[in-house]
Amino acid sequence: MSSKEELLQKLHDTVVAFDEEGTRQAAEEIVSGGHDPLDAVMNGLAYGMETVGRLFKEQEYFVPEVLLCADALNAGMAVLKPHIPSSGGDNSLGRVVIGTIQGDVHDIGKNLVKLMLDVGGFTVHDLGNNVPYESFIEEQERTGAEIIGISAMLTTTMMGMKKVIELAKKKDPRIAVMIGGAPVTPNVVKLFKADGYAQSASTVVAEAKRLMGAFCPAQ
Amino acid sequence: MSKQALIQALRGGRTAKAPWLPYAGVNCAYLINEKASDYLQDPALLAKGIVEAARKYKADGIPLLFDLSVEAEALGCALNWWPDNVPSVVSHPWSGKQPFSETGLRPQDRNSGRWPVIFEAARLAKPELEKLDCALMGLICGPLTLASHLAGVRIFTDVYKNKEFAHEVLQFASQMIALSTQFYIEMGCDVVGIVDPVSSQIKAPTFAEFVTPYCRQSVELVREAGLPSVFLICGDCTKVIEEVCLTGTDAFAIDEQLNLTFVRDVARKHGKGFVGNLKLTLSLSLGLLSPREDTLVSLACGGTEGFVLAPG
Repeated sequence: MSSKEELLQKLHDTVVAFDEEGTRQAAEEIVSGGHDPLDAVMNGLAYGMETVGRLFKEQEYFVPEVLLCADALNAGMAVLKPHIPSSGGDNSLGRVVIGTIQGDVHDIGKNLVKLMLDVGGFTVHDLGNNVPYESFIEEQERTGAEIIGISAMLTTTMMGMKKVIELAKKKDPRIAVMIGGAPVTPNVVKLFKADGYAQSASTVVAEAKRLMGAFCPAQ
Repeated sequence: MSKQALIQALRGGRTAKAPWLPYAGVNCAYLINEKASDYLQDPALLAKGIVEAARKYKADGIPLLFDLSVEAEALGCALNWWPDNVPSVVSHPWSGKQPFSETGLRPQDRNSGRWPVIFEAARLAKPELEKLDCALMGLICGPLTLASHLAGVRIFTDVYKNKEFAHEVLQFASQMIALSTQFYIEMGCDVVGIVDPVSSQIKAPTFAEFVTPYCRQSVELVREAGLPSVFLICGDCTKVIEEVCLTGTDAFAIDEQLNLTFVRDVARKHGKGFVGNLKLTLSLSLGLLSPREDTLVSLACGGTEGFVLAPG
């Protein structure tokens, strides 16, 4: 039988190699061996996705490879998640309303961000793609989310994120808004007065944690 | 304004000064105070908008329209319309990997979707653009982008997991864009571009297998018509730029994420024209850079051999 460390490494390696069956087997061994499934998610699966994020940034991996790695991660999650206490309870690090901006149906990046936040311990309320500006605010009010995450793929639709930020800040300055997507740069974040920015899915959990520390929960 | 200079540069030739090709797109609707959703469905408005843009921007060439949903709509995908943007493709009838006959998709012809509107717009605009000595550019949706419209985002994993299905979708997309190419040639376009923005999001071998062969028919049709062709790609396409040069088009166009000096060297190595790359986001949309200085930098990098100045 493999040790816990070996299984964590196997989870990492099979995610990176987009080996769905290998990830599923390693996850089953975690459960049957009595190891902590949350530890396996964070230090196996999520660690694997961190490596995938680096490979994406270095242009060794592209969209197909990242999606396939996400498939492997999901295969592992399907085994491990039933054994982890619900993240919607006291264990949740925070609540995030997420979606792609009105007019933009490109949701590959948004879905990866959702996955990373979910794995990273956040409760995610996903509005999907092509989300009207006001819907972000309405969903934040309904859920009491501390963070609104907005994604845009197009230069033209990106301009709508500024409107959502203005609406959110008008409602409650304590709501943190983070943005991302292909045309978004640190300069855009500054210009739009967003609170946070994730250049890729690999950095989103750290950024969300930073925002949780910097902003008071909106009640 | 000089149509011939644009054609010459696209073929990699030397020009007295760099020709100018503004991709005005829905900005044309803004110029004539119309909603994009009205503009893109009305031949008279389309013609008015592009002629106005060509005149205002002193363009050497102008796209008839810049809208990658045309083929998808004509084939049977549903669209969402917007007052200030191009429509979004919101249904992907082949995403279930079912046989083609069960998708509800139908091959396009000149009466499908908005093609009659586009034919009429070209008929109205072409004589006006001739008077201005401005080239009319037809832009077809690239094969991988059209495949993603038809089969959804999973086409990107199908290139690994279900290669046979991915090839089937791409083959169909290729046949349909060959028809689009023929339509634009019949309309009297002076240049035809293949616009495949998502093809920067794949590895070079994937590009060689799933993009290049499915451009071939269109590229051949344009060549047989004696017109120049361009491949337009978005994003950081550094890793596939050599493959882009092998698609067979006369020129390629890149966006602001690439260094134009690097692009120029690649283009000259392959004897291609190259088009770009005013900073659409940082300069033209947000004003974070001076558009004037940005233009001067592009002109200095691009030079006058095979270079066309355009938004990136």
